[in-house]
Amino acid sequence: MTTAKRRRTWSAFGETRRVPSEYEVMTHETNWTLRAGRKVPFEQNPSSPANLWFLTYREGSPLKVDDWNAFRDPDQLTYRTYVGLQDDEETKAEGLLTQYAEAGADATLSEGWVSVLGRLFAPARYPLHGAQQVQAYIGHIAPSSYITNASAFATADLLRRVTRIAYRTRELQLARPGSGIGERERVIWEDDPAWQGARKAVETALIAYDWAEAFTAIDLVLLPTLDDVLLTQFGAVARANGDELAWHLSSLLAADARRRERWSAALAAFAIDQRPGNIDVLRKWIDRWSVRADEAVAALAPALASAPQGAPSVDDVLDSARAARARVLDAAGLGLHPAVPAAGV
Amino acid sequence: MTLLKREEWQHLVREVDWTLSYVDDEAVYPEWMSGTGKVPREAWAKWEEDYKVSYPEYVATQREKESSAYAVKAALQRSTAWENLSEGWKSSTKMHFGGVTLVESEAVLAELKMARFGLNGSWRNMAVFGALDEIRHAQITLFFGHEFVGKDPQYDWTQKMFHTNDWVAVSLRNLFDGMMVTSNVVDIAIQLPLTFETGFTNLQFVALSADALESGDVNFANMISSIQTDEARHAQQGGPTLEILVEHDPVRAQWVIDKAFWGSARAFAALTGPAMDYYTPVEHRKQSYREFMEEWIIDQFVRTIEDYGLKKPWFWDEFMKGLDTWHHALHMGLWYWRPTLWWKPTAAVSKDDRDWLREKYPNWEKVYGDKWDVIIDNVNRGDMELTLPETLPWLCSMCHLPCCVATLGYDNRWRVRDYPLKHNGVTYHFCTAGCRQIWWKDRDNLNHPTVIDRFLAGEIQPMDVGGILGYMGLTPDVMGDDPDYSWAADYKDRLIVPRVPVAGA
Repeated sequence: MTTAKRRRTWSAFGETRRVPSEYEVMTHETNWTLRAGRKVPFEQNPSSPANLWFLTYREGSPLKVDDWNAFRDPDQLTYRTYVGLQDDEETKAEGLLTQYAEAGADATLSEGWVSVLGRLFAPARYPLHGAQQVQAYIGHIAPSSYITNASAFATADLLRRVTRIAYRTRELQLARPGSGIGERERVIWEDDPAWQGARKAVETALIAYDWAEAFTAIDLVLLPTLDDVLLTQFGAVARANGDELAWHLSSLLAADARRRERWSAALAAFAIDQRPGNIDVLRKWIDRWSVRADEAVAALAPALASAPQGAPSVDDVLDSARAARARVLDAAGLGLHPAVPAAGV
Repeated sequence: MTLLKREEWQHLVREVDWTLSYVDDEAVYPEWMSGTGKVPREAWAKWEEDYKVSYPEYVATQREKESSAYAVKAALQRSTAWENLSEGWKSSTKMHFGGVTLVESEAVLAELKMARFGLNGSWRNMAVFGALDEIRHAQITLFFGHEFVGKDPQYDWTQKMFHTNDWVAVSLRNLFDGMMVTSNVVDIAIQLPLTFETGFTNLQFVALSADALESGDVNFANMISSIQTDEARHAQQGGPTLEILVEHDPVRAQWVIDKAFWGSARAFAALTGPAMDYYTPVEHRKQSYREFMEEWIIDQFVRTIEDYGLKKPWFWDEFMKGLDTWHHALHMGLWYWRPTLWWKPTAAVSKDDRDWLREKYPNWEKVYGDKWDVIIDNVNRGDMELTLPETLPWLCSMCHLPCCVATLGYDNRWRVRDYPLKHNGVTYHFCTAGCRQIWWKDRDNLNHPTVIDRFLAGEIQPMDVGGILGYMGLTPDVMGDDPDYSWAADYKDRLIVPRVPVAGA
C-alpha cells in the first residue's frame, strides 16, 4: 500500500509540476461528450441523429489535432473576469451615451450622415445577430471546453454589440423622426443592394455545419473583414462627419472584436502547430469565405463612400478590409507567402 | 440621467429575425434541431419572455453576485469549518460536486443550441444569457470543489466523474444528453428550463442550501444559493415555448413534460433522496425528501403545468407511491455498492435515524428494516465481507439505475418487481412501468447497453467486481466506504437471531 500523494489539482491535468491557473481549473475538460475512450459523444443509441451529427461535424471535421484541450484562450477569460471586464466597458459606454445625449448631439448631425447611419449602421444588428448564432453554434459543437467558453463569451459580445446598435437606433429614431431609422432596418437588410453580399455570406455561414469551417468562416474571415468596415472605417468616417459618439462607441466595441481575433488567431495557430497539414484545410476554407467576405464589402463600400465628409473611395474600403483580415490571418500563421504577390488584387 | 429606459429600445434587440433567401429556412433551422413540428413556423413570432434583461444590466448584476460569492468564500478560507463538518454532510456535497458540476457545463451546450436554433430572435438572445449563467455555475462549482482536492481525493471527482463509466455517470449522461442536447430546441426549452430547472433544481438547491446551513456549511450554502438566483431568469425560456407548443400540439407538450419529469424524478431519487434523508445528520434535517417533493414539486409544478392546460403525467400514481420507496431502495443500493461511489455513504440507520424514518415514512420499517437488520448484524459480528458486493444489480434499460423498486402486491406483500419488454427478440428489463413506457415510445435508448449489458457482453475485463470498478474509473483512494459504521453500535447488544430464509421474501 503506497501512500497517495497529496493532490494539488484535478487529476485530469496528469502529473504536472505546474500549478494550473484559475482559468484552467475552471475550464479544463468540462464537456463530457468529449470524454476519453467514448464510442460516441452521447450516452444513447449510437446512431441517434445527434450522435451522427456530432460524429460528422465535430469528430469528422477535416481540421484535426490530437488534443484540443491543450488550446488556451490568450485572454484566459473566466465568467468572473468576463462580467467584471464587460461591466466596466458598459459603464464607459453608458457614460458616453449620457454625455452625448445631454449635449443633444444627434440633432446636430447632417442629413447626409444620418442617412449613412440609417443605411449602414442601424441595419447591422441583423448580420451581427446572424454572426451571434454562428458563434453560438461553434461553442455548442466545439471539440474542447476551452473553445466552447471562448466562443460563448464572443457570442455574448455580439449580443452586446447588437444591444448597443439597437440603443443608438432608438435614440436616432427619437432625435431624427422621418429618417426611417428604427423602422426600416429589416427592409434595408433584406432588400438594399448594399447588404446583399453580407446577407448571403451570413446566411451561408449559418449552414456551414462543420465546426471548424463555421469557425473559419465567421472568426477568421467574415467578422475580421466586416468589422473593419462596420467598426473601424465606419468609426473614422463618423468622426469626420462630426459624429464623435459613433467614433467613441465603435472604438469601445472594437475591443471585443480584437479579443475575439486574438483567440481565433491563436486557435488557428495552435491547430497548425499541432498538425502542419491543417494549414491546407484552413486555407481552402479561407479562400472560399474570403470571396464571400469581399463581395459583402464591395456591396457595402458605396454606402460608406456616400458619406458627406471624409468618405473613402470604394477601393479604399475594400483594401482596408482585406488588410484587416490579412492581419488576423498573419497572426494565425496563415498569411500569404511574402514571395507570392496576391494575384488579381 | 438621460439614458433611455430599457422598455424604450429593447424591442429592437428582440427584432432580429429576417426572411432567409440565399439559403432555405429548413437548412438553417432543420426540423430535428429546431423542432417546430406541428407548430406553424410563423407562430414563433409571438414568443415573448416575461422577464426582460439587457446586456448592461446582466453584466452589472452578475458581477456583483460573483464578487459577493467569492468574497464570502475568501472570508471562510481560513476557518476550520470544513474540518468540523460531518462525513455524512461532506458526502452530500461530494455527491453534488461530482454529480452536478459538469451537468452545468452540458447546460452550456443546451443554451448555445437554443441560441443558435431557437425559432425566435429574443429566445435566442435569452439563451445567450442562459449560456453565460451555466458557465458561471460550472465554474463556481469547479472552483469551490477544487479547494478540497488536497484534503480529500474524492473531491477530484468534481471534474472527473462524468468522464468515467461509473454507473452514476452513465445514468446521468443518458438522462441529461437527452434532456439538454440531443433533443430539438423546443423540447429542450420545455425539458431543461421548465421541467428540470423550475421543478427539480429548486429541490436540489433550495433544500440542500437549507441543509447546508443546518450542517454548518456556510461555504456550500453560499455557493448554491448564489447559483439559484440565476435560475429565475434563464429558466423562463420554457414558459413562452410551452405556451406556443400547447396551443398547436398539446399532446407533444404533455409527452415532453411527462418524460422529463419522470427522468428527473428517478435521478433525484438516487441522489437528492439519500442526501436529504440519510447523509444529512438526523438532527439537521429540515424536512424529509418526500415533504420537500410535496412542497416544491408536487404543489408548485403541478399548478404550473395545469396553468398551461396540461394534466398530471400519466404515471402520477406510480410516481407518488415511489416517493415512499425509490430513494430508500436506492440508498440501500448505493450503500451496498459503496465502492462504486466517490463519496462516503453513511447508512444512517441508528435507532434515532430509524425513529425519524418511521415517522416520515410509515412503511419504511416493513419494507427496509429487516434488510438493514441483516446488514447491521453482519457489521456487528465483524462479517464485513457479507456487507460488500460480489455481484451486480440489474440495471434498468431506461434510467440505468438499479431495478430495486418494491411495490405492494394484492397479497399485501412488498416485492421488487421486474417490468420486462420483448422487442426484436431481446427482452429488456425496466425498474418501473414509467421507464418501460418511455423507452418504448422514444427508442432513444435502443442499442444502448447498460453497464450490466456491457459486462455480460464481455466488454468489461476481468469479469469480476475488481474489473467493474476499474471500468468505472474508481481508484482505491476514491472508492466509497461507510465513514465509521457507528450507526450499527446501537444494536450491538441485541440478540442476533439466525435468519431462516423464506421463499419469496
